[in-house]
Amino acid sequence: MAVRDVKPTRSELLGVKKKIAISRSGHKLLKMKRDGLILEFFNILDSAREMRDTLAKQYAAAQESIAIASAVEGSFSVKSASFALTKHPEIELESRNLMGVVVPQIRANSIKTPVDERGYGLIGTSPYINDAAKAYEELVESIIRAAEIETSMKKLLDEIEKTKRRVNALEFKVTPELQEAERFIELRLEEMERENTFRLKRIKDKGERNDHK
Amino acid sequence: MMEIAAVGSEDFVLGFRLAGIRNIYAANSEILEETIRNVMANKKIGIIVIHAGEIKHLPQGLRARMLESIHPVFITIGGEEDELREKVKRAIGVDLYKSG
Repeated sequence: MAVRDVKPTRSELLGVKKKIAISRSGHKLLKMKRDGLILEFFNILDSAREMRDTLAKQYAAAQESIAIASAVEGSFSVKSASFALTKHPEIELESRNLMGVVVPQIRANSIKTPVDERGYGLIGTSPYINDAAKAYEELVESIIRAAEIETSMKKLLDEIEKTKRRVNALEFKVTPELQEAERFIELRLEEMERENTFRLKRIKDKGERNDHK
Repeated sequence: MMEIAAVGSEDFVLGFRLAGIRNIYAANSEILEETIRNVMANKKIGIIVIHAGEIKHLPQGLRARMLESIHPVFITIGGEEDELREKVKRAIGVDLYKSG
């Protein structure tokens, strides 16, 4: 709101004062929300970093085991074993509310499968393939956990950014402009008051002069 | 009920197939972009696993969309994840991943 748009009236002054009070309390609330979100974010951050490390380690291990399996058995038999699988992991997405941010909660079922339920014949395949399958099952399990954590982090970061922008807008733009408007109206009203007093004095003087005549 | 998908080179996705994942999209770098778009459009897919090295060649716009996307979630493995780190830096103002 630019100063020149403000009408210097008493009711406008009351309105501006009210707006300042609202924007101040809003600023305070948003600041608290921002701090709360950042706190929440730090709680997640550690687990996210840990998750990244385990993910990298497990991926390396899984790659190694599948490389061994392919080397020993030939990549064709690894592939054929992989096509024989009967169980498939499925996930369920639920949502959780974290300080007004909806974050997903992922539940998974049937990732780890016992060897005899995997679907490929035990006699036709070697333990190397089993090891590789196990390593990848573990990796998938971590991936699902990582998906949950990283999505929560992304959402929290978005919300933090949004709240920060709002806090700053209120602090550095909205409130100062309103205060300027308030000052402008007060000055104008005082000026009008003085003009009025002066006018009354002039009229009084004139009246007195007329009486003398 | 949603499922997991793996997108990437033949070698990369083989292991995931072995872990029982059904939605396997073997794609070389030429059709990678198109494949990702298709998989993203699939409502049944909840998580997409992709190799970190492969997304480097994708156009910026698609990468940004992948990073923002919640349904499905993209998980990159096998490399540094710079994008999330960048995001943390922007939102918090400090590079929190530095020590880690």
